[in-house]
Amino acid sequence: MTQPVTIIMIEDDEGHARLIERNIRRSGVNNPILPFRNGTDATHYLFGADGSGLVQKGNALLILLDLNLPDMTGIEILRRIKENKHLKASPVVVLTTTDDSQEIKRCYELGCNVYITKPVNYENFANAIRQLGLFFSVIQVPSAAT
Amino acid sequence: MEILKVGTGIGVTPDLRRRRALWQILLFAAGLLVLTVISAGSVYLVNKARDDNASVIHTIEVENQVHALLLEIRRAESSASGFLLTRVPEIWTDHQAAVAAIVPHLDRLAELTRDNPVQAENVNKLRPAIEARRDQFAREMNFIQQGDFASATVLVREAATGNTTGAIRDAADAMLREEQRLFALRSANANNSQTLAASLTGVGSGLVVVLALLSIWLVRRSAAIRDEAEARLRDANLNLEATVDERTADLREANNEIQRFAYIVSHDLRSPLVNIMGFTSELEELGSDIFRRIGSLTHVPADGPSLATNEPAGIALEGPDKQLSQDFSEALGFIKSSIGKMDRLISAILNLTREGRREFEPVRIDTGELIEAIVTTVAHQAAEAEAVIRVGELPDIVSDRLALEQIFSNLIDNAIKYLKTGVPGEIVLRGRTKLGYAIFEISDNGRGIDPKDHQRIFDLFRRAGLQDKPGQGIGLAHVRALVRRLGGTMSVSSELNVGSTFTITLPIKWNVSKRNAEQ
Repeated sequence: MTQPVTIIMIEDDEGHARLIERNIRRSGVNNPILPFRNGTDATHYLFGADGSGLVQKGNALLILLDLNLPDMTGIEILRRIKENKHLKASPVVVLTTTDDSQEIKRCYELGCNVYITKPVNYENFANAIRQLGLFFSVIQVPSAAT
Repeated sequence: MEILKVGTGIGVTPDLRRRRALWQILLFAAGLLVLTVISAGSVYLVNKARDDNASVIHTIEVENQVHALLLEIRRAESSASGFLLTRVPEIWTDHQAAVAAIVPHLDRLAELTRDNPVQAENVNKLRPAIEARRDQFAREMNFIQQGDFASATVLVREAATGNTTGAIRDAADAMLREEQRLFALRSANANNSQTLAASLTGVGSGLVVVLALLSIWLVRRSAAIRDEAEARLRDANLNLEATVDERTADLREANNEIQRFAYIVSHDLRSPLVNIMGFTSELEELGSDIFRRIGSLTHVPADGPSLATNEPAGIALEGPDKQLSQDFSEALGFIKSSIGKMDRLISAILNLTREGRREFEPVRIDTGELIEAIVTTVAHQAAEAEAVIRVGELPDIVSDRLALEQIFSNLIDNAIKYLKTGVPGEIVLRGRTKLGYAIFEISDNGRGIDPKDHQRIFDLFRRAGLQDKPGQGIGLAHVRALVRRLGGTMSVSSELNVGSTFTITLPIKWNVSKRNAEQ
């Protein structure tokens, strides 16, 4: 039995969040999207009040992560997700404006699954998100296995 | 400020140094002068002493002469008396010899005392007396020759007691007294001269010693000052090194700060731009939806209003509606093109900061091969512009490969891009070496650059001349920054409508430590 995947969107820019959501919807993905505007709220939700991540045990999550957050860096969140035994299996898509090769390398080293640069060119942006939607529809998000 | 303080603190001001040099020259001159004076004085005094001694000797000689004259007269007298007593003919011969010697002695005396008026007067007094005495001797001789011994005896007795002998004695005594006086005077003079010479030498030597001591003191003092200055200089150097290190660290920090700043700015500027562009595109879509609906509403006949929106898109708007639609599209078009431009600028800044952060790696580069590779990649554009690229002999250098590629491809690209339309282009690359530097020249026969723009073209985001080619005004700024980082310089010489020559001077063997230490 498959559990619906919840998309966690950690993105401080409201406009970006709206554009991402709109394009995901346009690509035909109807999973629930949970937006967070800052790192603190997002980590609180992901790792729970005790920070152990136990609250998410067994939940199927897909995380969209912006690297530039007002209160912490996305890299830090990525590192914590990938170090947490309950969350490390959840795919993380890094969506950011930077196309710095050092930063991309760092993200992949930390275990990010997909890295997407937000292009200013809207056509490309929309395409990238839609392809991400296609990607969502084919990947198998590990569901609650213990 | 700190450096300046240290600088003025070191050692001796020029004024003080000049004064000290003057002192030393003065001392030297004084020493020389003293020596000269002593030498001249000594020579003079020695001469004077010799003269004085000669005078003393002269006096003694005169005295001797007077005594000799008197002796001869006495001899003549005593031998005359003796002969009259004994009648021994040898005594008579002796008398004759003595009388004959009187006149030469007198002449000699006159000769000796000619320079002294007093003595000459005395000689003049002496002479008649002696003449008279000689006359007496002659008369005595006559009597003796005639055998009249009695008359001769009487004459001798008369002569011995007569005033002639007294006159001779008086004159001789006067002469002797005068000579005694002269002797005392001249001896004193001679003594004085010698004392003077001795004291002059003594004083002079003393002065020289004093001057020498003064010199030694001055030299020692300046040596001490120099030692102190050297010590301070050493300290200052150490301080300077520390200061330079500190400043270098500051500069590096500031540079990193700027890099970070540029990076953050360009990155954060991009974020809202994504929104603007995204929602503008959304708006565009929204706009076309709205106008399609307006179109379908105005076109629908009054009887059957069909609200189906999925009408074929070809509904033409009319009149004011068409105008509105066009204005709407135009406005959005401007917004989008501006965003595109802004995005390119931000990307350029981002690339520049990234270039600034990249570490260079010096490797031996076959420049000719590198240029050939670039020429191959631009062959298509060159053919389109009807341009030929000629590559001359180029010196190999040790430098960063990527930086060099960017430098040359930018310049060759520019040369092709800004050729004169309708004129076959000719781009020439030349190279030579000079004093450890490789000099590369890229010449074209293109449109050229107005001399007033020669500086401007190297500024970021600035361009010159006819703006008919796409570009951000980054290429040359970037090239120059790269050349500088590689320890080289870059210049342009160009004339409008004739062509341009860009000259790049790079070190043949670029030292990585100079640059990477700063990174």
